[in-house]
Amino acid sequence: MAPPSDPILTDSRGGDVSDAAPRLAASAAEAPDATLGVRRTKKQATRNRVIDAARELFDTQGYQGTTIREIARHAGVSVGSVFTTFASKGEVLSQVMADRLDGLYAELDRVMPHLRGATIERLRTMFAIHFAFEVKHTRLFLAHIAAAYDWTLPSTATPMGKNQRLQGIIRECLDKGVAEGDVEADVDQQEVTDLLMAAYAWVYRLAAWNDADAPAMTAVMDRQIALIAAGFRPRG
Amino acid sequence: MMHTAKIQAVGDMPVKAPTRRALAKQQTRAKVLDAARQLFSEQGYEGATIRDIASAAGMSTGAVFANFTDKSDLFREIMLTDMTALAESMREAASHGTGAEESLLKIFVAGYRFYQTQLPLARAAFSVGWSPQDGPALRAAGPVQTMLNLFTEQLTKGVQAGELTQDDQSALRTQMLFDAYLANYDQAIFQGWTIEALQSRSRDQIRILLAGVRRG
Repeated sequence: MAPPSDPILTDSRGGDVSDAAPRLAASAAEAPDATLGVRRTKKQATRNRVIDAARELFDTQGYQGTTIREIARHAGVSVGSVFTTFASKGEVLSQVMADRLDGLYAELDRVMPHLRGATIERLRTMFAIHFAFEVKHTRLFLAHIAAAYDWTLPSTATPMGKNQRLQGIIRECLDKGVAEGDVEADVDQQEVTDLLMAAYAWVYRLAAWNDADAPAMTAVMDRQIALIAAGFRPRG
Repeated sequence: MMHTAKIQAVGDMPVKAPTRRALAKQQTRAKVLDAARQLFSEQGYEGATIRDIASAAGMSTGAVFANFTDKSDLFREIMLTDMTALAESMREAASHGTGAEESLLKIFVAGYRFYQTQLPLARAAFSVGWSPQDGPALRAAGPVQTMLNLFTEQLTKGVQAGELTQDDQSALRTQMLFDAYLANYDQAIFQGWTIEALQSRSRDQIRILLAGVRRG
């Protein structure tokens, strides 16, 4: 693995940066001097409690196994107050994931421009960062994927497939490879991206069902990336 | 599966006639399965309840529970029936392909054709397939293993025919082909892609995934 990724892996494994950061920022922005401010702070506190409870429940019971009623009970708030902020459990999950992934993507935005080496290595490092970040919550991630197939999901929710951030990062990686001459310019980048996304999702399934750790997840993904890379290597 | 079971029962008559009670039980199961298939297609896995299924089948929830342990049991039975039939048509389709790439493509397309008219049910299957409770069992189901074996067979035949080089990643390649096949259902379910569009995308994906073992 490329050296730049090492401190990142340790950082993200060490603490739940993504959970804490956006919440602190949000409550700091509230002005508690006016009544309106107090109400807003209160609402924010309820929202945070709901998010925390939901994260735990989705992570242990999956998407289907979690209900709004349970989330409310777990958070110690009324069902009604959950519904004042979120229209459905799909939306709660979207928010849980958005809060988590904001931290991850901020980290990736910081790291990716500094990565050197072949495209295959840059892709491997990028996914290794994902797995190190998510390894303790692989079931949460599966819930995120399963939510995409829920009938009752409102269009405002953002399940896995709708998240364009990761796809964008992969495409930048491939573009850089084309520029540097180790990715075939004629290859359909969308198809390569989709194959990588499918492989990525598969690794979560493996991890959640077989209790794989981050190094095991990374090892499997590395092999899958190598297999896909054979398909985008320059021809001739 | 219910239909074959019924025909078999009639054929077996001279040897051992099923009791009237066994026949009635079988008819009840068939009625429940029909109603469940309908409701899962209309409301998804989440939306369909045992109570609705019972009422659509014209019986009590108790009668449903006498035949199936729960909703996931019911759904699994429907899936297994479909996937057994699908694995069979995939094998048939593969036998008409020349070469690994084309045979694999025919397998993919056989799947998309099979679910073309029942995409809502496919969507429900994905919802269940990703769940920690029912996912592993669905993935380990017999017909799924049959499909995976069919993918591997095409790779092996490709090696034997000299089209592909010896592959030490055959298991991984099989799994990735299968996942690519499954992932394309998203395009069908959410974006209304036609069979032709799915086919063209699948062909490119198969080419990418076979590139490492292609000879020459």
